[in-house]
Amino acid sequence: MDLSSFAEGPLLWIAFLVFIIGTVIRMAQFIFVARTKDKPLYNYFSVKYILATLARWLLPLNVTVKKNPVFIICVYLFHICLIVVPIWLAGHVSLWEESRFGWSWSSIPDKWADWMTLLLLAIAIFFILRRALLPDLRLLTTAGDYLLIVVTVLPFLTGYFLTHGTVDSIKFLGDNMRLFHVLSAEFVLILIPFTRLSHSVLFFFSRAASGIEFGRRGYSI
Amino acid sequence: MTEDVNPKAIMDFLKPRLGARLKTWIETCTHCSMCADTCHFYLASGKDPKMIPAYKVRFLRDLLKKKGRVDKAYLQEIYKTIYYECNMCRRCTLYCPFGIDIGFLISTLRGLLTSLGIAPEGLKKAVENYKLTGNQMAVSKEDWVETIQWCEEEAAAEVVGLKIPIDKKGAKIMYTVNAREPKFYPQDIMEVAKIFAVAGEDWTVPSEKGWDDTNLAMFINDAPTARMIVENTFKRAEELEVKQVAVTE
Repeated sequence: MDLSSFAEGPLLWIAFLVFIIGTVIRMAQFIFVARTKDKPLYNYFSVKYILATLARWLLPLNVTVKKNPVFIICVYLFHICLIVVPIWLAGHVSLWEESRFGWSWSSIPDKWADWMTLLLLAIAIFFILRRALLPDLRLLTTAGDYLLIVVTVLPFLTGYFLTHGTVDSIKFLGDNMRLFHVLSAEFVLILIPFTRLSHSVLFFFSRAASGIEFGRRGYSI
Repeated sequence: MTEDVNPKAIMDFLKPRLGARLKTWIETCTHCSMCADTCHFYLASGKDPKMIPAYKVRFLRDLLKKKGRVDKAYLQEIYKTIYYECNMCRRCTLYCPFGIDIGFLISTLRGLLTSLGIAPEGLKKAVENYKLTGNQMAVSKEDWVETIQWCEEEAAAEVVGLKIPIDKKGAKIMYTVNAREPKFYPQDIMEVAKIFAVAGEDWTVPSEKGWDDTNLAMFINDAPTARMIVENTFKRAEELEVKQVAVTE
């Protein structure tokens, strides 16, 4: 088995399983550790406050949007592209159709996917520049913060190169772009449970915890 | 230079407190800096990047990574940050996309230093006083009762029939004060007595521990003492069978 078929076979399974099992474990950990060490969360548990706080912060209805509109709009767009493109890209959907699962769902036009990918890459560059140039963020930022941005957008960059043949003039890159694309995406999936990327799932728990705490005290949630 | 800081003592304090929230908050902060200009320390210092709330709690992540192996100078750096650069107002939390409770993290660090014997001297002294006498100013029971009695006498000269009932069982309200009042500002007690008298309220003050409603142990996160202080007040309220506990202004 060559590297390509390994990356698109067993490694793909491993990546998805690590991602799914890892995130489920992170969620389960929160729930079970909280049972003994974060009793207030259970004593004051409130579905109302949790839903209210999640709605407020998943939609642009919160105070931070008003305070930093430009940055937050970029953050929203970045995350929308990050989720929509890989799931609803026509090329990916057809792969699911061909797979053993035979799953199928609607897809977005390729033109959209192109623009969303470019938008995501542009915003990523904006994020990196912001971290490098603003004195506040320079102090706060660690090497890992830069690395995670780069690693996260690599599948999008390689995906764009793959579909447009942008760098096919360099033979090595042109020949292996599909492999790079698959490997970089698998790398992100594997990293999610173990790094700050876990904020994708822990966001809901952290938000809910603060929603309960602030809601019962009558603060803004 | 590693002076005698016991890494085990640090980890023994942190580990049992590493709950789901604490762990998540330490690990998920994405350093977005949305908390920066919500902090009054940041704004008042001319936007000093060191005052960003997310930066002030870097110690927790650090301590866990180093497994508590730090020196005295490092603890002093923590001390300076958590006592002089944050007053745990939680405004940053209102603006944090994840709702990370920086105040809670700072409080945990304060508790850690307290467990290692590091806290502002004034607060340490006050907490000792609570443990010995039940109030932060170390006012004895005799002094407290005597103060109430002469406050009653003087206030009664202005409001006819004014009484400050001590340990009156079954009263509606049990009134508690800041221990600084009997010590330095007894006129405050007299003013309140006048209001209660004119309003015709059924009230009382306890003579035993529990009449001081301040809780300075909370500020250094000495949880057992903080708990004891609140329990004293509840105990008195139950003994006197009052319906409400009022606290001073």
